[in-house]
Formats: sequence, C-alpha cells, structure tokens
Amino acid sequence: MGSQESGRDLAGFFEHRFGASPDVLDSVMNLAAGSHIDFADLYFEHTVSETMSLEEGIVKKAGSHISQGAGARIISGEKTGFALTEEIDPKMLHLTMATAREIALHGGEGAARSPVGKMVRTHELYPVTKEGLVLPTDVRRELLSEADRTARAYDHRVKQVMVSLATEVKSVLTVREDGQLSTDLRPLYRFNITVIAQSEKNRQTGSYGFGGRVPFSDIPDIERIRLGAREAARQAIVNLDARDCPSGTMPVVLGPGWPGILLHEAVGHGLEGDFNRKGTSAFSGRIGEKVASSLCTVIDDGTIPGRRGSLNVDDEGTPTSRTVLIEKGILRGYLQDRHNARLMGMKVTGNGRRESYAHVPMPRMTNTSMLGGDSDPKEILESLDRGIYAVNFGGGQVDITSGKFVFSTSEAYYVEKGRILYPVRGATLIGSGPEVLTKVSMVGSDMSLDSGVGTCGKDGQSVPVGVGLPTIMVEELTVGGTA
Amino acid sequence: MSDDAVEKVAQGEDILSFVLSEAKKLGATDADALYVTSDDYSISVRKGDVEKVHRSMSRGMGIRVFRGQSQAIVSTSDLNRDSLSDLVREAVRLAGETAPDAHSGLPDPEDLEFRRPFPDLLLEDDGRDAPSAKLRLDLALSCEKAALSYDSRISSSEGAEFQSSRMTRQMGNTRGFLGGTSRTNYALSVTSIAKEGDSMERDYWYDQRPFFRDLDSPGAIGAESSRRAISRLNPKRPKTGNARILFDPENARSLIGHLLSAISGHALYRDATYLKGREGSKVASSLLTLTEDPFLPGGFGSRPFDGEGVRVAKKEILSGGILNGFLFDSYSARKTGHKTTGNAVRSLGDAPVVGTSNVIVTPGTEDRSGLLKQMGDGILVTELIGFGVNTVTGDYSRGAFGYEVRGGEILGPLSEFTIAGTLDALFSGIMGIGSDVSRRSSIVCPSILVDGLRVSGI
Repeated sequence: MGSQESGRDLAGFFEHRFGASPDVLDSVMNLAAGSHIDFADLYFEHTVSETMSLEEGIVKKAGSHISQGAGARIISGEKTGFALTEEIDPKMLHLTMATAREIALHGGEGAARSPVGKMVRTHELYPVTKEGLVLPTDVRRELLSEADRTARAYDHRVKQVMVSLATEVKSVLTVREDGQLSTDLRPLYRFNITVIAQSEKNRQTGSYGFGGRVPFSDIPDIERIRLGAREAARQAIVNLDARDCPSGTMPVVLGPGWPGILLHEAVGHGLEGDFNRKGTSAFSGRIGEKVASSLCTVIDDGTIPGRRGSLNVDDEGTPTSRTVLIEKGILRGYLQDRHNARLMGMKVTGNGRRESYAHVPMPRMTNTSMLGGDSDPKEILESLDRGIYAVNFGGGQVDITSGKFVFSTSEAYYVEKGRILYPVRGATLIGSGPEVLTKVSMVGSDMSLDSGVGTCGKDGQSVPVGVGLPTIMVEELTVGGTA
Repeated sequence: MSDDAVEKVAQGEDILSFVLSEAKKLGATDADALYVTSDDYSISVRKGDVEKVHRSMSRGMGIRVFRGQSQAIVSTSDLNRDSLSDLVREAVRLAGETAPDAHSGLPDPEDLEFRRPFPDLLLEDDGRDAPSAKLRLDLALSCEKAALSYDSRISSSEGAEFQSSRMTRQMGNTRGFLGGTSRTNYALSVTSIAKEGDSMERDYWYDQRPFFRDLDSPGAIGAESSRRAISRLNPKRPKTGNARILFDPENARSLIGHLLSAISGHALYRDATYLKGREGSKVASSLLTLTEDPFLPGGFGSRPFDGEGVRVAKKEILSGGILNGFLFDSYSARKTGHKTTGNAVRSLGDAPVVGTSNVIVTPGTEDRSGLLKQMGDGILVTELIGFGVNTVTGDYSRGAFGYEVRGGEILGPLSEFTIAGTLDALFSGIMGIGSDVSRRSSIVCPSILVDGLRVSGI
C-alpha cells in the first residue's frame, strides 16, 4: 500500500467501519484548531493478529486477536494532551479530541487550520493485496509441524521443540492539524523455533526466529523454515558442550547480523531526539564530535523493503527515511519525531513511532546498522589473540544518561591465537556507549541485517525494529563470565 | 466500591454471559472468558510545568473455547455484540483446527472457588478518597521541585509523574464460575539527573499504593531520587574477581522472581528448568523461606481466586531452603500427575500460565548496616540491567551498578561491571537476609547478602 489510490481505499475502510468520513474528521480536527496549538493528530488503528503454537509435536493453541481504537493528541509548546477511545464513532471522536484539547490548553483560542484532505505520498515497502494477507490455518499448521520434525531430526539430544507463528495486519490512518492524511497497511509476521537439548550432564536451549513485512503468501518457504529449525537445534547442541565463560575486560569479535543489537543499545537509543532535547543523553550536544573509530558509519534506515523495522510512513504521517547517525566516526544526527524536531530546530526524520492508538509517539529506531568495511571476516577472527567471538545474542539494555549498556550472548566461543577453542555459557557483555565504537579496530565486508526478530522497548512501549552489523573487532569489552 | 465500579461489574457480567452462551450455542463444549477494564490517568511535569497528560479508558474481552480437548483463544477491544459473536465463531472454528490434548480443559469443578462473598483484601478505594486534578498536578510539581532543589549538582530532571488507575477484572466459565476483583493504584515517581564535570548519572525513586492516603510524600520521593543520583557521580570500576554482593530490596526481588519462574509447572513439564527433580530437596540456603499469601491485605498480587477461577490458599513454597513443590495450573498439574496449586495466571490473549500472587520472603533481624558489617568487603548492588538470566540452564550474568563496601562501610560508586554465577550457587550462597522489607511489589522482599558470585570489571 502507499499509492494514492490504495491510501484512499484504506481511508474508506475507516470511514465505513467507524464513521470517520471527511466531514467528521474535519469537524473533529476543528477542535484542535488554535493559535497556541503547534501540532495535533488523530490516529486510527485496526489490528488483527493471528497466532498458532506447537509443542510436544502437536499444535496446542491457535488464536485471533483484534485491537482497535483511536488516539487524539494536541501539542502546545512542550505540553502534550492525549486521550483515546476504543468505542469509535463520531461522538466519541469529538469527545476524545476535546479531552486532549482541554488537557493541553486549558481553553485556547481559535485560528484557521487547513481542511482535511491532502493524502501524503508514502513509500511502498511492503505492497500487499487482500489475497496476499490470507494464510490458511492448515498451511500454518503444516509449517509448524515441518519445523518440529526438522529440529527433532537434527540430533537425538533434541528433547523439546516449541514453534510459533504470529501474523499481524495493522491498518492505520493519521489525520494532522495541517490537513494531511496518511494511511498504511502494515503486514508483519514472525516465525520462531525454540529447542531444548539434553545430554547426560547438561540441558541447553537454542532458538532462531525470522520474519518481516511481506505478503503472508511468502511465509510458506519450506527451505527457510527447515534452515531456521536446524539453526535452533544446532545452537542448543553446540551449547551442550559450553564451558564457563571467562570474566574481565578483553577483545571481542562480534559476528554479522543480530549482534548489531550492540549499535541499538550502545548508540541508537542515546541518539533519539527526546533525550537529546532534554540534555539527558551521554551523546547530548556532541554532534560533529568524534564518537567512534573512523571505520564506523552507522545509519538508521526505515526504507528497506520488507524489513521488520521498516515503515512506509511513521505514526505521525511522516514518510520514513535513511538517517546517517555516525559518519566515519563523527556524530552526524539524531532520530526525530515532529515534536522534538520542532523544539530542537532540526529536521523530522520519520522516526515518530507508537506501539498503538493507546500510546503517544516518541522518536524510535527503525533498522539500525553499520556499513560494511574492507576487512575479510576470517582475518578479523584470526587476529583475535585471546578473547570472545560472539555470534548470537539475547536481549540488551542501556542507561541513556551514563551510557552504560549490556547485551547477553546466546552463542559465543572462547578464542586463542585466532582459533576457536570451545563454546562458552551465556554471559552478559557490558560497555560504555560513547566509548565502545572508538575501540572498533576492524570492520568486515560481510554486513548483514538480522533475520527479522527485534522488538525494542522504551517507556513501556514495544515496537518492531531491525539491526545489522558486519563482523567487527572491538578491542575492549567487559565479559561477564564466571571463570 | 464506587457506583461507577458497580455499573462496570454489571456490564462485565453481561458480556461474559453473552460470550459464554454464544460459545456453547456455536458448538464449544466448554469455555472460560475474561473481561478487564482499566481507567488510567497520568500527568507528568518537567522544569516546573506540565509536560504530558494522558487519559484513557480501555477494556477488553478474551475467551478460550474448547471443542472436546482442543482449544483456541481469541481477544478483542471491539465489544459490539455482532463483532463479539463473529469472534466467538472464529474461536470455535480455530478450536477445530488444533490438536486434541489429553490434559487440556477447564479446572475440575471441585477445584473452583464458589464461596461468596470474597474477603475484602483492601485493594480498592471507593473513589471518594481520589485526589483532584489540581492535587495530582501539585504532587508531581512538588516532587520534581524537591528533587531539583536537593543539591546544586542536580542539573535537571527527566520529569516527575503522578499516575492513577482503577482496574476491574472479571472471569466466568461454562461450569458456573463467575467472579471478579477490582483494584486502584496510585503512583508518584521522579527521575533526577546529576552532573559534575564530565560525569552525568541518573537515578529515580517512586512509591505506589492501592490507597492514595498511603503514598509517600512528594518531598521524600524527590529527595531520595536526587540523593541516589548524586551518590552515583564519578563511579569507578571494580576489579574482576569473586566478591560478596548485597542486593538492596528493589533488586533482591528480581532474584526471587528467577526462582519462581524456575519452579513453574509449565517449565517442569517442558524439562525447561534447572530445578527439575529437585522437589523436597535443598535449592537454597536454609536462611531462605518463601510464603505465598494470596490474601495479603493491600498486596499487589492479592486475589481471591486464580486465573482459572480455582481456590487459592496461603502456602510455604520454600522452607529453610527446601523446595516444597512446583507451582501448577490445571494443565501442568494434569500433565505431571499433580493437583493444581491455584497458581494459574490468565491474560486476555493467551491460555493460562503459571505465576504467583504475593510472595513474602521471611525477613531476618539485621538492618542494612548490620548486613554491611556481616559482608565486610564487597559490593552493594542498587541496580541490575539486561536479560542474562536463563532458568533452563541456571546461568546468571547481569550488568550492575552499586557501591564499594570495605569493612562494612559504603565507599564510592561502582559502575560498568557484571555479576555472574549459577542460580544454584547464588541461592545456596545466601548468607544474610535483612529486616528492611520493601512492600512496593507483589514480591515482598528485604535485602539479600550473597557470597560466591563473580564480578567482572577491570
């Protein structure tokens, strides 16, 4: 979706379902008119998600979930008033916007605003048809079973296999104070396999997931599902031989793809506009300064077709973009929503995102990655004298103000003189955001994006994101092992 | 209960009986359904002025339907009767698509809680006590002011926030169970930013209570937030090595949470816990005793029945370090040949999982300074970050912030380090439990002193 015509179709859906006709929208937005009002928007959402899960070889659960509502927001100076309704009809929409207005203004004066009607032109990163959004229940069931069979066939030590498939179709309509309308039809799926393996002495887990914003008719890719199942099983089996992880500060080589969570935690959050406007980020006021080795260029790109973190248009009606955060080591930019961009006198970047109609937009990441470099990934590993080679991670977290961040390994190896000696048990790595990229001494040519599993939490709101990384050498990170 | 709440309960009962009878009519053999409502208000201030006000009233319905021993779960925020009917029809269809599972189904009728009325657990005010909009604003403003004026090194705040909510939760099933609870919650919090030279640190403080009148004063919350932030300025990094760790109550609580997830009946039947087969044996130091009390007055986890409508009772989960048993809902109990322990937790969009109501750590006799003396040298941990806990393997490794302790005295702040070990080593290494209980959560917990963990720093 994204073309003018299909955008009108989606607007028609909201009109038909909720009575959100152009006249109604106009009169609701009239409540948001006033000389003290900087921004106002009305956000409609209708989301249908379908889930299915398998364990012990059988599909035990299936579900279908509907979430719908409208959120009204008015911003005056630094003040935000927000109210929502789940009963969507013209009366409740008026009441909701009036509440937001009362909150933000305590009664302001009227001024002209533009009539509703200008449909914004957005990207077309995940074109779908109605038929493309259907994935029959029996097909889903067969995909889960195939993953289960494949993982069990991988090794006799595989004891448990848990598989799930979730699909979601989110339809959104945003109406702004400047009359701009935008719509987006957002498909999203995630396929996940978790394996528990057991040897005489050990019990270990492995997991692999993938997904993105594609037509659901693309999901039944048997080869990809088998690869994913084997990958989850492989990880669990490898970990059965894991030994205690070393502790202390040492060089770490990060593998390509999902280890890009390093960028998300170490620099991404710290470059979100809200923290920088308030001066509470370890990166505040540092644009133009060197914050990374000159090998590092980090971007946030919401415009990559089909990716989990991509959006045709953000949740404030701004088309997403590609933003250079760090260029050859120099801090170049922040991620902005409308509110923070205006207050900081900077450009909007299309990063205004919200979890749902019940949440207020904030500057958030989309797909955050580092551009590939010149080094051969093999040579990077061979140059590791004594340290950790980490290829898979669980979650991470950051303290924006001090810049301290963590991320936890789920597959990592102890390396000496460039040779992998043995897998190590899960450990947390800790570092300092503004410093860690200054210690990047080699960047590989094998940049890759993750397989489409990231979810980012901020201020109680979860949104899907992507990360990407080439193989890199970090000269110093603290490894939280036990040996 | 307020008039408003009475009306909501009646609405909820209507919706529950409607969807349950629709399910039967459309071919379900059994069903249970949940209806929840939440009225939330929050106001945040920053730099002495209002920053954001958020008002919402939300509600939702979730129903689980069975066709024989196959199940499906649907949920929605669209409560229009036609839409509900359509969704229940979809649930019945989906239940025909899942595999029969010999142990699935509603709880056995003799386990359901049919006694009425429920005891008053002091979870909800009557609405008369609720603060006015002006008072909410004033509380947030004075909390931030107390934080900002605490010390000249407090450079700014991330803002202070007052939040209130009123929630109702009702459940019904096709075996005649119908029951509900409601609760109110009031919370006040602030985040302070401290700055000195190149060092910038943040910390926060908060309080939350079911009754507004019990909330700590804004002055006390603001001052504590800033005291904490300033004490973190100019941190050092600890040396790598083994060390004694004193977890303050806010962080000790997370350790108890890990233990509770490892004794879930669901983890047991999946072979997904390091504690499998350890029932009746020692899994922690004899200093550790855990009691679950669903009836704790004003408790954040208090509830007169569990997430399946099953009777609940007070019980000791861990006695002097010995694990008395795993925790079960009906499904995991049937799977493993046990009886449900009334530990089902149900959310709108999923089948029940295992969880707890209130869990109380039996406190010791020493206050914090007593525990510090007992520790001698080590680290007082006041913040943990990251997700490096695996209850399947029992591996524990998290990022931490804290203070160096020497000879029982707190010295300067420490940061950018991890603490790691196995959960087994951690729980058996408990050498002290404090008297300084924090009641701000459903896990009621004092400080815990542990020996034998590995610190990773420089």
